[in-house]
Amino acid sequence: MLAFRAYSWFLGRRLGLTLLTLWGLASLVFLMIKLMPGDEAQMAAGADASAAQIEAVRERLGLDAPVIMQYLSFLGRLLRGDLGTSIVTLQPVLADLEKVLPSTLELVFIAMLLNLAVAIPAGIVAAYRQGGVFDTTSRITAVMLGGMPAFWLALVLQYVLGSVWRVVPISGQQGYGMNSPVVTGAPTLDALIAGNFAGFFDTLHHIILPAAVLAALFATQIFRTLRAALLGVLRSDFIMAVRAKGATARHMLVRHALPNSLNPVLTLSGAQAGAMIGSAVLVETVFARQGIGAYMFNAVAQKDAFAVLGSVMFIGTVVCLVNLIVDILQLLVDPRIRAAQLGSQGQ
Amino acid sequence: MRTVHPMPDQSAVTPLRQPLVTVDKLTVDMPLGRSGSSVRIVDGVDFSIGVGERVALVGESGSGKSLTARALMRLDRLARLSGRVDFDGTDLLKLSDRDMGRLRGSSIAMVFQDPMSFLDPLMTIGDQVAETLRIRGVGKAEARKRALAVLDELGVDRAAERLDAYPHEFSGGMRQRVVLAMALVGEPRLLIADEPTTALDVRVQDQVLDLLDDVSARRGLAVLFITHDLGVVAGFAERVMVMYSGRIVEDGEVASVFAKPSHPYTQGLIKAVPRIDQDLNTLYAIPGAPPPPLARPNGCPFHPRCDQRFERCDKDLPALLQVGLSRVACHLHDGQQHDRHPHDRKGA
Ligand SMILES: Nc1ncnc2c1ncn2[C@@H]1O[C@H](COP(=O)(O)OP(=O)(O)OP(=O)(O)O)[C@@H](O)[C@H]1O
Ligand code: SF4
Ligand SMILES: [Mg+2]
Repeated sequence: MLAFRAYSWFLGRRLGLTLLTLWGLASLVFLMIKLMPGDEAQMAAGADASAAQIEAVRERLGLDAPVIMQYLSFLGRLLRGDLGTSIVTLQPVLADLEKVLPSTLELVFIAMLLNLAVAIPAGIVAAYRQGGVFDTTSRITAVMLGGMPAFWLALVLQYVLGSVWRVVPISGQQGYGMNSPVVTGAPTLDALIAGNFAGFFDTLHHIILPAAVLAALFATQIFRTLRAALLGVLRSDFIMAVRAKGATARHMLVRHALPNSLNPVLTLSGAQAGAMIGSAVLVETVFARQGIGAYMFNAVAQKDAFAVLGSVMFIGTVVCLVNLIVDILQLLVDPRIRAAQLGSQGQ
Repeated sequence: MRTVHPMPDQSAVTPLRQPLVTVDKLTVDMPLGRSGSSVRIVDGVDFSIGVGERVALVGESGSGKSLTARALMRLDRLARLSGRVDFDGTDLLKLSDRDMGRLRGSSIAMVFQDPMSFLDPLMTIGDQVAETLRIRGVGKAEARKRALAVLDELGVDRAAERLDAYPHEFSGGMRQRVVLAMALVGEPRLLIADEPTTALDVRVQDQVLDLLDDVSARRGLAVLFITHDLGVVAGFAERVMVMYSGRIVEDGEVASVFAKPSHPYTQGLIKAVPRIDQDLNTLYAIPGAPPPPLARPNGCPFHPRCDQRFERCDKDLPALLQVGLSRVACHLHDGQQHDRHPHDRKGA
């Protein structure tokens, strides 16, 4: 029960920290709204609102009150999930996000899986056979991919794989007549839920290229980080001790070298999850997919301030949650971190 | 405690017992960076270890003791080995990686110098000790039971409760017991101990040594014991091999080598052991330092530091020859008639 209390204490602390971060982010967003040029009521009401409409909005949002009161009521609205109203869709921003975000999260999730599924084995093999053919070629590939502008990579792959070879669709997220009833808003998941296997493979077929582009942008970092960490660990004494026990290379790598190299990789992939949502803006635009990318793109183009800031708030929340998960994973991997964080001996 | 065995004849040093390992012209080359060239660290070493025999390997830092020992298990991935290492009739240097892996831990095991750095910080003690068995397909419960039995035998208190503890929760002495348990659980026939007590404080050193003495006697385990500490050699080993600059320069029964060292380097090492009654100012040290492996002098590698050198010493490399009950690599003992004019024989 001691362990349970230590864990709850840790989780409580981390959740508190997360809330604090989100509060900071919200304050920043509030500040941005205040600092934006132009009349806020006008912005919230939309460009072609009448004077009466603008005044109505001003009243509703309490924009005549002192700034501190506005700030408090802004936080209050946030707590109720009110991110403001989009002037383009005329819907609450939260409702809009609920529609577009699942598709983005699905894209980012698959991209993250691809990223790790390629970079981790590649990093292991490269480090174990340092200086070998695989190591050399994959390092060159990583440098090339890492130096490539993202949109350019997206366009080239779209052109080669989509137009010339025609192995994947150029754009969109599902073919005609492949729709499944919307449950989560994530097309691949919805197809699975509906038991629509043709639809499932169709959506996968559509998502694979954008996800691969997104993954490629990030996999090089994971590869390099893991390779460097592993090279250090492979030189350490306990690896020799494991070999002296008669362990196969595979056992030694998977059970000892990899877990001991995972910490920087976990930290990095936590940071990447946030950056990937950011890059999804670009990838979704290039591949004409629905999602927070397209939503934000439109919002920026049409000066839909609340839609933009609401999206920022939402992405920030996701990033905070991912980092919380990373913290917990690190705790699970390393008993020494456990001992330090939980204050007991990690048991 | 130890007895000097009567020697039936003079033709060999050990073969009182069945040899367990016979090392023949073993060389170890280490690559120099990425250049493709390499440096010979261990330069043609021959010796054998009998079943259940305890042999000490001594010599200054950098003489190649660790690389020699690790070569027996082919533990250094980068090392290039040549020669023969016969273990129980098979040449280990010819085995496939897979067959060599099977021998490690079950026929030959190793304990290392720093017990902390040789334990995986992320794995429980119980899992690390049981691992040798798990790798060989022993079931989880059975492996755990045997791990516990060995830890108990080695005097890890409350071993049952601490199987699920991590290395950072153990003291230095306890960790060394865990490392020893890791080595013993696979029931090896040869244990290589590379300075197993150097990283421990003096009181714990003695405990670990007693333990090693105990368990190896009980199991009839052959031990190759690497150390800097000649005091430990006298208490623990039956035979001592002295290594200098990648070669064995003297090999003989501990009692006779200590009573009458033949090689000037061995004489220096023994003279350099501090005695309790000794005034600190009169502590002896062999002058100079061992040569770096890339710049070994011609002739006897020890000659720049030797106070008994004469004119052949910087020309011919002395071979390791039988001298009485020992083997010695020194021109003073190669049986040839020399016109000896040692430079300075104050050591004699
Ligand atoms: N991985 C390596 N690559 C290149 N040279 C090495 C490597 N490991 C050891 N050496 C060199 O080999 C020589 C002998 O090393 P070794 O560790 O066998 O010495 P040792 O006799 O065990 O010394 P010590 O008493 O300090 O442990 C040293 O000069 C060392 O610099
Ligand atoms: S061979 Fe010569 S230099 Fe070498 S140890 Fe003997 S006497 Fe000294
Ligand atoms: Mg050593």
